[in-house]
Amino acid sequence: MRTKSDRRKLFEALNGYLFISPWLIIFIIFSLISLGYAVYLSFTEYNLLRPPRWWGLEGYQRVLEDELFLAKALPNTFKYVLIVVPIQTFLSLVLAFAMDQNLRFQRFFRTIFYLPSVTSSVVISLIFIWIFAPQGIFNQITGLTVNWLDDPRTAFYVIMGMNIFTTSGTLMLIFLAGLQDIPLAVYEAAEIDGANGLQKFFYITVPMLRPVIFFVVTVGVIGCFQVFDQIYVMTAGGPLDSTTTITYLIYKWAFRDTRIQMGQASALAVILTLIILMVTLLQRRVIEGSGSGAER
Amino acid sequence: MNRLIKFLLILTTLALALSACGQTTTQQQSAPTPQTVRETVTVRETVVVPAEKVTVRLSGWASSPAETALLESLLYKFSVENPDILVKYEPITGDYKQVLLTSIASGTEPDIFYVDIFWWLELAANDALLPLDDLMAASGVSRTEFIPSLIDAFTYEGKTYGIPKDFNTLGMFYNKALFDKAGLAYPTDDWTWDDLREAAAALTDLSDPNKPIYGFCTPPDPGRFPVFVFQNGGMVMNGDYTDVLLDSEAAVKAAEFYASFRAAQIGALPSDLGEGWQGTLFGKGQCAMVYEGGWLIPYLRDQFPNTQYGVVMPPAGPGGEGNLIFTVAWGISANTKNPEAAWKVVNFLTSEASQKTVLESGFALPSRQSLQNSDYLKNNPNSAAIFNGSFFGARPFFWGVVGSDVNDQMSKALERMFKENQPAPEAMKQAAESIRRALR
Repeated sequence: MRTKSDRRKLFEALNGYLFISPWLIIFIIFSLISLGYAVYLSFTEYNLLRPPRWWGLEGYQRVLEDELFLAKALPNTFKYVLIVVPIQTFLSLVLAFAMDQNLRFQRFFRTIFYLPSVTSSVVISLIFIWIFAPQGIFNQITGLTVNWLDDPRTAFYVIMGMNIFTTSGTLMLIFLAGLQDIPLAVYEAAEIDGANGLQKFFYITVPMLRPVIFFVVTVGVIGCFQVFDQIYVMTAGGPLDSTTTITYLIYKWAFRDTRIQMGQASALAVILTLIILMVTLLQRRVIEGSGSGAER
Repeated sequence: MNRLIKFLLILTTLALALSACGQTTTQQQSAPTPQTVRETVTVRETVVVPAEKVTVRLSGWASSPAETALLESLLYKFSVENPDILVKYEPITGDYKQVLLTSIASGTEPDIFYVDIFWWLELAANDALLPLDDLMAASGVSRTEFIPSLIDAFTYEGKTYGIPKDFNTLGMFYNKALFDKAGLAYPTDDWTWDDLREAAAALTDLSDPNKPIYGFCTPPDPGRFPVFVFQNGGMVMNGDYTDVLLDSEAAVKAAEFYASFRAAQIGALPSDLGEGWQGTLFGKGQCAMVYEGGWLIPYLRDQFPNTQYGVVMPPAGPGGEGNLIFTVAWGISANTKNPEAAWKVVNFLTSEASQKTVLESGFALPSRQSLQNSDYLKNNPNSAAIFNGSFFGARPFFWGVVGSDVNDQMSKALERMFKENQPAPEAMKQAAESIRRALR
């Protein structure tokens, strides 16, 4: 009997692996192996033309001494995360809360808010380039004459605004799903105790949504650390490096420069991974630790 | 039962008869055996010939359908003349250099491919390109047949690594209608910096705020500004590309002159007028004079057919003539299995007959000296101005292994001067220091 159940277990496990094999094979080939290879490359000097040469920590040292990384890419990336994540989280939470009320045309607005998220980021980038052109709609409406994407003081904020605009829709949907999970009885009890709308939002909705907030912030932080395509399309890191982020610098070193520095680019990619890992662990501490174990 | 026996009997006799027949036929054939063997051998020999047909793969970027069609027609002509070589044309769309480098890294690169002047040395220095001198000598092709500044641009440590397929220099495009309006005589090849400045001032007309007209456009573009450095007797890099000379007196003064147009409101950046490229502004008549290459000619023909314009060589500076050369060569992979066949293709594509076809189609200028006096250039003075630019102080658009850094720093220095009013000496010094750090 024992052997029979063991065999069944094995059979079930094999079945399971068989079912996930399409994903698993793709994951191993395109993610796991390439990830491991990138880590290996980060310890080598590699210009694509000659085989990689072992370099030890030289690549990491060069990254940490690089002027563009220290003066522009690193601070820009953190600035981007610190501005975009709080705003997009708060905005999407408010939007979700509004959508959860029984408003008129609720479905219509929900679709409208979600629309930017399903549109290609390249297309949205092009639309924003036109909106913020010197003779674009934005300047015509406001009467300003700022050359938004060509001015080092403004270009990065336009990209930030665009990212908030596109991601808030998705995050709103996640919050909306979280809101539906909060039992109405809690709100009713609060109403009997005389809580007003604002109090209900801050003392019931927000605490009950804590796991969802953690998820949204984590996804937001990771996404913001990896911002690339909008910058590639809209400014290519310029003007005057004001929109150069870590991912754009990786691309620049790996493919754009005359002298290809694949090893150094891989080292920076590993460093970025470590930064994201540390920040995620830290925020898990902060968000889950501040509550009184409400999630249990 | 009887029936069955009878049937079996018939069957056996039939079988016997058949086998007997078989035997007899083989016996009959055994007599002329040597002849048949000889025949099969001759058949095999005819099969061997198509098997020798070699395949070479050829790649380039596809800049326009018409240009691709032109290359395909040349390759067809080649296939008729050389039936033993099969050329497979595999154009690369998207980021050409990225695709080419990754294909070299994985050992799957084409036998023949475009190499751009701006990054070819990285390939040659890493032994990814085949030196062509022996192949050239074997087929009697001499370096002197090509325009010297072009063939020299693809020479590294005394070896030729690419045959220039075509080129462009910068010409000064001027809008005839705006010159007429300002009552100015059209520019000539003898113009100097002073003439340029005076004309820019006279041509500028800012009376219509919705359509301001500037005399001269000065994009912060590393593909334009170095012309002024050369014309001022300066250089971007030293002779062996080991140091940068952007902070030299000549380069700083050139930068001051370049920035002075916008400062005096007689020049503008394309981005000031909401365009990415000054070619569009020239077509619209908002920039009366621009420095652009021959690529502007077909663009104007398609997009702004009503704009009347002329082209002359860029006005000379205090240090004389100066120009930039943009060129692309055919290179052969160092790993090719058929260097002779690949060379045959390259030699055909850069032959005088092929180059003449390219010239007459109006897409690009030929790299052969012999075509300087061709009828086409005589009848097309605008193209001739750009072709002749290569003989007057023109240097290749190439800054060594840190080329992209030099370009980046040059445009940033100009942007800082234009947008943050940084003084030229400071801006150029900052750029030079940054490039020196990259050179270490």
